[in-house]
Amino acid sequence: MSWRLRIRHTTGYAYDTPVLASFNEARLTPVTDVDQLTLEAQVVTSPEAEQQRYWDYWGTQVTAFDVHRPHSRLVVTATSVVDTADARPAPVVSGWDAVRSPEVRDRFVEMLTPTERTRPDEEMVVLARKAVEGLDPHDAAMAVMALAHERVAYRPGSTGVATSAQEAWSQGSGVCQDIAHVTVALLRAVGLPASYVSGYLHPRREAAIGQTVTGESHAWVEVWLGGWWAYDPTNTVPAGERHVVVGRGRDYADVPPLKGLFSGGGGHRLDVTVEVTRLQ
Amino acid sequence: MADLFEGYPVGVAWDEVLDADGRPREHSAPLVDALRELSPEDLDVRAAALASAFRDQGITFSLSGEERPFPLDVVPRVVDADEWDLVERGVSQRVRALEAFLADMAGEQAVLGDRVVPRRVVVSSSAHAPAAHGIVPPNGVRVHVSGIDLIRDEQGRFCVLEDNLRTPSGVSYVIENRRAMTRVFPELLATHRVRPVADYPAMLLAALRAAAPEGVLDPTVVVLTPGVFNSAYFEHSLLARLMGVELVEGRDLVCRDGEVWMRTTGGEQRVDVVYRRIDDDFLDPLHFRPDSLVGCPGLLNAARGGRVTLANAVGNGVADDKLVYTYVPELVRYYLGEEPLLPNVDTYRCEDPDQLPEVLDRLDQLVLKPVDGSGGKGLVIGPQASDEELATLRAQLEADPRGWIAQRVIQLSTSPTKTPDGIAPRHVDLRPFAVNDGDRVWVLPGGLTRVALPEGSLVVNSSQGGGSKDTWVLARDEVVAEGETTHDDLLPAAPEGRLLDMGNAVLADQQQQQQQGRVTC
Repeated sequence: MSWRLRIRHTTGYAYDTPVLASFNEARLTPVTDVDQLTLEAQVVTSPEAEQQRYWDYWGTQVTAFDVHRPHSRLVVTATSVVDTADARPAPVVSGWDAVRSPEVRDRFVEMLTPTERTRPDEEMVVLARKAVEGLDPHDAAMAVMALAHERVAYRPGSTGVATSAQEAWSQGSGVCQDIAHVTVALLRAVGLPASYVSGYLHPRREAAIGQTVTGESHAWVEVWLGGWWAYDPTNTVPAGERHVVVGRGRDYADVPPLKGLFSGGGGHRLDVTVEVTRLQ
Repeated sequence: MADLFEGYPVGVAWDEVLDADGRPREHSAPLVDALRELSPEDLDVRAAALASAFRDQGITFSLSGEERPFPLDVVPRVVDADEWDLVERGVSQRVRALEAFLADMAGEQAVLGDRVVPRRVVVSSSAHAPAAHGIVPPNGVRVHVSGIDLIRDEQGRFCVLEDNLRTPSGVSYVIENRRAMTRVFPELLATHRVRPVADYPAMLLAALRAAAPEGVLDPTVVVLTPGVFNSAYFEHSLLARLMGVELVEGRDLVCRDGEVWMRTTGGEQRVDVVYRRIDDDFLDPLHFRPDSLVGCPGLLNAARGGRVTLANAVGNGVADDKLVYTYVPELVRYYLGEEPLLPNVDTYRCEDPDQLPEVLDRLDQLVLKPVDGSGGKGLVIGPQASDEELATLRAQLEADPRGWIAQRVIQLSTSPTKTPDGIAPRHVDLRPFAVNDGDRVWVLPGGLTRVALPEGSLVVNSSQGGGSKDTWVLARDEVVAEGETTHDDLLPAAPEGRLLDMGNAVLADQQQQQQQGRVTC
């Protein structure tokens, strides 16, 4: 059964002294593809700014804007209404040849190559390879996801925006961004193409229609098993009707919800809220 | 009178002037005759005059942070009209193929689908710039300016050594070398019908104007430099002056609502075309290095919106990556349906598991080059390397085979060069410069001849102790010799109006962590 969700994602920056100019890119608009239909989407900024929209290399819709008058506060509000679909069954893959052929390796080379944030250390590689010994690709993917979930405990505030997979692994904790990075690193280490997915999660399995709840900016992974398959290693469930995809990339750096530069301003404080309402 | 060529040795390398029997090649006979008229003392005087001309103008290069004069050899290199014809057609062909490759990579990527080039080769290039994806250059040109490095092998064949499609430098030396030679050696020039090089700034300006966003009738062009500490600053300022356009730094520009403006004492002025001499990584801190202070935030999105043209385009480096270089002859066939006029130097792809073992076996016989090095940086000449250097190299290769290519040691052609012991052969290469205005690829008749000054040295880069020679491309007999024109006749004077110094804005990163620790997940 599919769900219809409304998302309201508000990001506020408060600056110690007024900012004179800022340049920003928001990746906050959910994708439309076979499993998801974005019915409405808009990004509103305060102060108001002219917006430029484009689709980036990874297929994510970007809203770029810059502000050129002094401001002490910048608020970006993204709202969208999205139809999501049930989790897909994992693709049936015949064997390792199908996912490790030279053609597959070349086609998905970017999703097989470690990035700065997803480079595994030796222990990660050794344990991942050991975990998948004798398994077919699907079971191997499940084993690796379980390993990531087991080794990196979900602990809010234990990591920061720039934390790498190695750091989260060695400290044994992180948030979903870190768990997704670790999972992606381990999947790639065993030769499975994997991408990082940025989006939202409705926190309740049995969500009441019409009730607005506090949701999450969330991250999970997709793995290539002869077809892309989305799985949420933080919650150990396949991504389904509660998950809203905004973008896919090699790691967080390809799909940051908001990134920007500002001049002046000194320090700043960040305040983020995500509200999710199941509409049907 | 002593013959300056007496005792001039003929070696394995092809000599540009004398043939294997020590006789002047046909096109170089007038040069040899003229030089034979000179006494060594006279040559010394001319050489000293050239050196002081350069020093007085501040034409230097920086070597490890220290400014040094870039020595101009007193003996020019003469290129025959027929040979130049091949160079011109070959360089133009190559640039057209590389333009087609870049356009394809930005679009449907047919070259990957057709398996001419593996996808991994392109996306693993350090110059691969996903951030520039989707920028469509107004007149289709991405390689407005290129420098294609050529060498001549032992048989006298011109081969391509590397392509430079990002921000190739050196054309200022071509212009200044000619100016100095005209002053110091007027009678030698008079004995040859040499094609002029002073058209370059006008051709460049025309190409930049032709690249302006659609609908802009009288585009404003600027030259964007990283600043006075850049080793090519002299060139940036020279080109801006000769084109009659403003030389700006990142802090002189501001992007607002998708447009680019230049701060001047007369107020802000719209900018339509930026001839940028800043590397991709430093160009726009919003998309590349956020700590860059020499760039300007917003430039990339302004170009994406079609409101400004960046020349050269961002991301060109994937096409001049030295591993991609090994595929260029195939690219010429694939895109143009032509045979390459200028061959590549035979090259091993260390990334290829079938080729790596042979390279490792023969490290002491090959030249190893980092794929993204320029200016001869990181290059190792096997036969001249110590055992220790070879061991280090082996470890580097095994750790990062994608990072290296290998070539056989080619004895670059030699050209008579003034040395403390008289005229002697020294190895040279040639960097012709090409300008693409969208209608045709024009190759400057001349180019930069670099010369390795130490005896036997094969490394010609200015950063490695090289000098240069004025390169004389001879006009065809049937063509009425073109007069030497000076750029002063061709171009308007630089506009008045100083740039306002706004100081470096402090740019700070703002981004948010995915799911900054909240309720459930």
